[in-house]
Amino acid sequence: MGRLDDRVIIVTGGAAGIGRAFAGGFVREGAKVVLADINGEQAERSAAELRAEGGEAMALTVDVSDQAQTEMMASETIAGFGKVDGLVNNAAIAIRVKHTRAPLEEIPLDEFDRMLAVNLKGVFLCCRAVLPAMKERGYGKIVNISSGTFFNGRENLVHYVASKGGVIAFTRVLARETGDAGVRVNSIAPGLTASETEEHDIEEFAARVPNRAIKRIEMPEDLVGAGIFFMSAESDFISGQTLVVDGGVAVH
Amino acid sequence: MGKLDERVIIVTGGAQGIGRAFAMRFAAEGARVVIADVNGPASEKTAAEIGEAGGEALVAVTDVSDADSADAMARAAIEKWGRIDGLVNNAAYFQRPQVTVGPVEEITPEEWDSVMAVNVRGPFLCCRAVLPYMKERGYGKIVNISSGTFFSGRSTTQYVASKGAVIGMTRTLARETGDFGITVNSIAPGSTASDPERDQSRYEGRVPDRAIKRVERPEDLAGAGVFLMSSDSDFMTGQTMIVDGGAALN
Ligand SMILES: NC(=O)c1ccc[n+]([C@@H]2O[C@H](COP(=O)([O-])OP(=O)(O)OC[C@H]3O[C@@H](n4cnc5c(N)ncnc54)[C@H](O)[C@@H]3O)[C@@H](O)[C@H]2O)c1
Ligand SMILES: NC(=O)c1ccc[n+]([C@@H]2O[C@H](COP(=O)([O-])OP(=O)(O)OC[C@H]3O[C@@H](n4cnc5c(N)ncnc54)[C@H](O)[C@@H]3O)[C@@H](O)[C@H]2O)c1
Repeated sequence: MGRLDDRVIIVTGGAAGIGRAFAGGFVREGAKVVLADINGEQAERSAAELRAEGGEAMALTVDVSDQAQTEMMASETIAGFGKVDGLVNNAAIAIRVKHTRAPLEEIPLDEFDRMLAVNLKGVFLCCRAVLPAMKERGYGKIVNISSGTFFNGRENLVHYVASKGGVIAFTRVLARETGDAGVRVNSIAPGLTASETEEHDIEEFAARVPNRAIKRIEMPEDLVGAGIFFMSAESDFISGQTLVVDGGVAVH
Repeated sequence: MGKLDERVIIVTGGAQGIGRAFAMRFAAEGARVVIADVNGPASEKTAAEIGEAGGEALVAVTDVSDADSADAMARAAIEKWGRIDGLVNNAAYFQRPQVTVGPVEEITPEEWDSVMAVNVRGPFLCCRAVLPYMKERGYGKIVNISSGTFFSGRSTTQYVASKGAVIGMTRTLARETGDFGITVNSIAPGSTASDPERDQSRYEGRVPDRAIKRVERPEDLAGAGVFLMSSDSDFMTGQTMIVDGGAALN
């Protein structure tokens, strides 16, 4: 018996990294998961791994910045699993998708636009796509992944950090808008997390360790407990909140 | 199999209200619970209910504002079960007659001191009492109960100041104890119907502010308590979680 038995949960960017860890944790707790990722092949491989462990998982190739594809994501989920209980808006230009790390004047304009299109408009579009189904059933759990960088104003990443601040603002408004419909909306802000260790040496993720209360590298698994909590009935009276899970760098 | 199997958890003010809801739920998740409350008879009643439901509970009559009493609380847990995994600093003065609601000029310095003694000195003393045992084992989970009123400012100065202090203590203590495997977080409840004797319509005042428009019950806080007492929150420390149906947004 798991804490997410029979819940159907969409994890965007679920093919790899933190999203993949969420999907694994949700399946262990009994959920059926949909891995919606722009990297369809990787999403399919991850879904196959979850099925091999006895879980129910489905992969969908989705670019979250494309309205039609997010609508397809919602309709395929309902066609495959009959409903949508949860959505984790995790897909982002973050680690695997390359982006400029430089002062504001050096950020290419098209990259700024793309960052906002994926990291913020993507959240808007995915919520828009699943909300009708959640409202119809009178229940839903949405978690938007923000970032610890919003709290500490990480330099040379203004496009990314702005998008992640937008995610928190978005979370607050949507929580108020959807409470009457039984939909809860919260946010998790991870610290610097070693979500990719083939191209990036794991030691690259040690930069924030000295600032932490818990002085070690953050791993995707460290976020899973908070994800399960927000997807489960345990958090049904919590909405509009942001939980920082970073080993105690930012205190919020 | 529960989320808190084997864990020994002290809940101050665990006899009634929100503390009681934590104690009952922790026991249902497999924890062994110490009810540390000034009110002995009410503590015994809650412990008996836990026992009837198949759980394990110990009563340690405690005044959290008294250092010797807080130390005795920790020793009682150790003598009975040999370890302390969790502490919920929940005991507090929060309503009449201990807390007068009124403008600052009407709050007596004596009342200020007594509210601070229970609400701030209490968590300080209880942390002080349990930390040596937690550090020795290299693991511990502390939760301090603050209040949504810290975020809204809608209450009376002495109470809100005490609940702000709790958040400050949470942050410093998190940084101090991370190297010992201890996490320290805070839960801020909204106005909660914790007293069945009180006019229930009084709890409806804050409902319109919420995203989820209903009266908050002590049980609404239990899930957050379980999460913060469990290994699921082991990389989360120094944080404050508002559980109020979405009134204050943090
Ligand atoms: N890793 C960190 O240090 C860190 C820190 C704070 C916050 N975060 C956030 O956590 C989330 C996950 O991060 P991660 O480290 O696992 O990132 P990652 O780059 O490892 O994985 C992101 C996943 O999202 C997918 N994706 C990218 N663009 C997409 C699009 N347009 N549509 C659909 N899928 C898309 C990628 O294919 C990939 O599978 C992100 O929201 C990120 O901003 C990460
Ligand atoms: N009920 C609410 O609306 C509300 C809202 C926000 C925060 N809170 C906080 O939640 C916590 C619990 O509140 P509640 O509503 O259950 O309160 P309550 O008054 O119903 O219960 C408090 C318990 O603490 C005990 N206690 C009081 N002084 C003590 C002392 N010196 N030593 C040991 N035990 C002592 C009491 O005997 C009682 O059992 C408090 O910290 C309160 O500030 C409550």
